[in-house]
Amino acid sequence: MARINNQIRRLRFDHDEMTQEELAQRAGCTRQTIIALEQGKYVPSIELAFKIAKAFGVSLEEVFQYEE
Amino acid sequence: MAPLQKRAWWGLGVGLAFTIAFVLVFFLMGGIETFDKDQGFRIIINVLWVGGLVAHLVILNLTLRKPRMMDERDKMILDRAPRIQWIAVVFTLAAWVVGLNEVYQATGLIPALYLYVIFMSVLIVSWLAQSLGILIGYWRANRNG
Repeated sequence: MARINNQIRRLRFDHDEMTQEELAQRAGCTRQTIIALEQGKYVPSIELAFKIAKAFGVSLEEVFQYEE
Repeated sequence: MAPLQKRAWWGLGVGLAFTIAFVLVFFLMGGIETFDKDQGFRIIINVLWVGGLVAHLVILNLTLRKPRMMDERDKMILDRAPRIQWIAVVFTLAAWVVGLNEVYQATGLIPALYLYVIFMSVLIVSWLAQSLGILIGYWRANRNG
C-alpha cells in the first residue's frame, strides 16, 4: 500500500525546536493538524504541504516522501 | 482539542439540555392536545425551537468565520458530518411513520398537527446529529487517520 511519510517532527527540532503551534501559525493550520501529520494520521492537501515546506524553508520533497 | 471539536461538544451538550427542556415543557404543559388548542403554548414552543435553531446557526457561523478556528482537516470532518445527520433524520422519520401508523391505524386519520411536531423533531435531531457527526469524525480521524 502506498504511503506518504513526512519529516515534520525532525524538521521542527532542526529549526530551533520550533513548536507545533508556531509551525501551525506559519502554515496556516491548527496545532491539531500538525499533531495528526506527525503521527501519520493525516495526509495534507498539496497547498498545505507547500506551506509547511515553505515554513521550514525547504523543498516539498524534503518534508514529504512517497513510498510504495 | 480542535476549536471545531470543542464547539461540537458544546453543541451536543447544549443541544441535549435544550432538547430535554423542550420535551419536558411540551409534555408537562399538556402535550399534543394542549399544543393543538392553546395558542400561547404554541408560541412558547415555537419560540423555544426557533430560538434554539437560530442560536445554533449563529454559534456555528461564528466558529466558521473566526480565523484559524478551522483548517482543511476540520473542514473535511465538518463536510462529512451530514452523513450522520442524514442517517439520524431518516431514522427519526421512520420512527414517526411506524409510531403514528401503529397509533392511528384503526382510525385511518393522523392529526395534521403532527406534521408540525415531526418537522420540529427532525430539525432538532439534525442539529444534534451534526455535533455528533463532527465528534465521530474527529474520533475516526484520531484513530485511523
